[in-house]
Amino acid sequence: MSKIREHPPDANGEMTSPKEGDLEAFAVFVQLQRGDPHIYAGCVDAADAKMALQFAREHYGQDQPCVNIWVVPKQAIAATEYDKDLIWRYTDQTYRLARGYAKGVREKWEKIRAKNDLDDYEKEDLKEMF
Amino acid sequence: MDNLPENLKQPMIDLLLAVADDKLMLGHRNSDWTGLGPILEEDIAFSSLAQDEIAHAQVIYELLSPLVDKTADELAYGRSIDQYRCAQIVELPDGFDWAVAIARQFFCDHFDRLRLRALSHSSYKPLADVASRLAAEEQVHVDHVDAWIVRLGKGNTDSKQRLQTALDQLSPIAPMLFEPVDHEAELITAGLYPQAETDMFHAWRDVLQHVAHEGGLALELSPPNAGAQGGRRGHHSEHLKSLLDEMCEVYRLEPGVAW
Amino acid sequence: MSGSSNVGMHIDHNVQEDPEKLAEFEAKIDAGQLIEPDDWLPQAYRTGMLKMAEHHANSEIIGALPEGEWITRAPSLRRKLALTAKVQDEVGHGQMLYRVSQDLGKTRDQMLRDLITGVTKYHNVFNYPAPTWGDIAMIQWLIDGAAIMNQKSLADGAYGPYVRTMKRINMEEAFHFKCGEDMVLTLMSGTAQQRVLGQDAFDRWWYPSLMFFGPPDKPNCRNLPPMRWRMKTVTNDDLRQRFINRFVPAAKDLGLNIHVVKKSDDGMVIEKQLDPNLHYDESTENWTVTDPDWEEFYRVIRGGGPCNKQRLSLRRFSYEQGRWVRSAIMNGRAGLPPAA
Repeated sequence: MSKIREHPPDANGEMTSPKEGDLEAFAVFVQLQRGDPHIYAGCVDAADAKMALQFAREHYGQDQPCVNIWVVPKQAIAATEYDKDLIWRYTDQTYRLARGYAKGVREKWEKIRAKNDLDDYEKEDLKEMF
Repeated sequence: MDNLPENLKQPMIDLLLAVADDKLMLGHRNSDWTGLGPILEEDIAFSSLAQDEIAHAQVIYELLSPLVDKTADELAYGRSIDQYRCAQIVELPDGFDWAVAIARQFFCDHFDRLRLRALSHSSYKPLADVASRLAAEEQVHVDHVDAWIVRLGKGNTDSKQRLQTALDQLSPIAPMLFEPVDHEAELITAGLYPQAETDMFHAWRDVLQHVAHEGGLALELSPPNAGAQGGRRGHHSEHLKSLLDEMCEVYRLEPGVAW
Repeated sequence: MSGSSNVGMHIDHNVQEDPEKLAEFEAKIDAGQLIEPDDWLPQAYRTGMLKMAEHHANSEIIGALPEGEWITRAPSLRRKLALTAKVQDEVGHGQMLYRVSQDLGKTRDQMLRDLITGVTKYHNVFNYPAPTWGDIAMIQWLIDGAAIMNQKSLADGAYGPYVRTMKRINMEEAFHFKCGEDMVLTLMSGTAQQRVLGQDAFDRWWYPSLMFFGPPDKPNCRNLPPMRWRMKTVTNDDLRQRFINRFVPAAKDLGLNIHVVKKSDDGMVIEKQLDPNLHYDESTENWTVTDPDWEEFYRVIRGGGPCNKQRLSLRRFSYEQGRWVRSAIMNGRAGLPPAA
């Protein structure tokens, strides 16, 4: 093992160097295949977007195949609040969903087809009779 | 071609060893940084680059394996020191000085990328296939290290000074990356190691200087002396011995057993 | 690899929480909902969660050091790659856990400084030495095995950012454990010398791995905040028993003997005997082993372990050595407040 790992310089007590603060946090979004949506993966701290991309590709792009990465300053993300901001309404929303129509549409088709069948039958029946 | 002519076999073995040994030693040195990097994110990134180098070395050793009838691990761990073909710049310890690590990476990665690009046009097909894949990965390394050179050069007086010192320290020995292996000229003539029209050394120097200047750094590089004997001919620094003693410490307990 | 089992929660009883909000908060926890950082949080929860995530992050960063010593000595290219990747993962886990902590209001810089000056702690297990390659195999098998058990239970916790990080970490931890298992199997089915390496390392790591889960449970631990607020979901002793039941039979199958050991100050085994208490209890379906020496555990926490000084000095060296690099790229940006 390297000498420094084996015998690191002795260091004790308070730090004399000034506090540094942190770099800017960037949220990282990875795309696993072309055409797929980008998915939030985590954050990196970096000096700017270029460095954030450089870090993100190695940190979040190596544990699964990844074809594209976005980084966004975390501060730039505005979010709603769970308790304050109601997003989904309580009233019946099925009027704006496909499933709100599934049953009605099926029943209407069945009715129409049954009627068509009956008409056909009657036509055939008439043909045979006369 | 898929098979090498008999008279070019040994030069090709030396060339492939040079490629793989450079990568192994560089990867070995850089992997030692894992857990100690200057920023956690860069620690992770630099470790990925180190892993790439070791993985590249493994691929090249595997390519060599049937030519020398040895496994990749036997090639990596089981040779005597004079049988290694790495350049001396990859043997140097960096003392966990980030400026030295980055400067060394800068010289080596650009060289490696140019060498792999040349080899991707080799008439020896198995090598050309491998080299073109590795060259694409080497581009990632080059981009990474170039960004650091410019950033530290432009950072502040302290970082500029430290990086300049490291570049000055390594620039006299870096050109020995170009030291030819024995009979390299014959490999070039035979199209096994084709060279582009612009001489590879000048292409290397130009791109390094371009990046260094962007970071406000000075960089002088001269071609290696024709007669200089270095790592490509098995002449190594004292550092390679201690590197190998450390790297092979466990392997040598019982060579040949599975670990 | 890590765990946060020994983080104490010190409640500041001067903070009077709004009883209505506290009740709402606890109702959310009881309903199995995940808590998010922008939710209303009791002060003790916020500080407790920060402390827990910070301790876990510190442990990952220090945990990278003992194994990092062996990257340059790994005996094959594949092992070298795997060990580098494993130690790299630990740094990555540390980075993600520091982010969880940063979002609770403390800068990463302050956390790294507190770590190297001994203001905050890291997991005790990393204060033991790894003198041979056998230790690398055993650390990855026993300690990462213990870490998975611990972190799976933590992934059932209530704090969203921490839970999501645990889930991601556990995926990578599975590779560490499998790789460790592979190394231990290779050693124990190898040559006589390799089996000795394996047994000796097992003797060094068996007790640290039992201590990994933290001290014995307090009688009321299920009602104390860490469990009441689902920061922890399984008690130390329950996790330890799961570990013993999983690893005792495996060790026996591998031909490893379970020893009670006495160690020197530098962490090397100087006396050992077969564990006289080792037996399987048919009625409880549990394996019983001799308890760890809890005095040793507290001594090591207080700084008296074989490697405390070396680990902190090396981590401090890394911080000091990297300072000029960070200062160069900060470019006058130093002192950014922690991200909201």
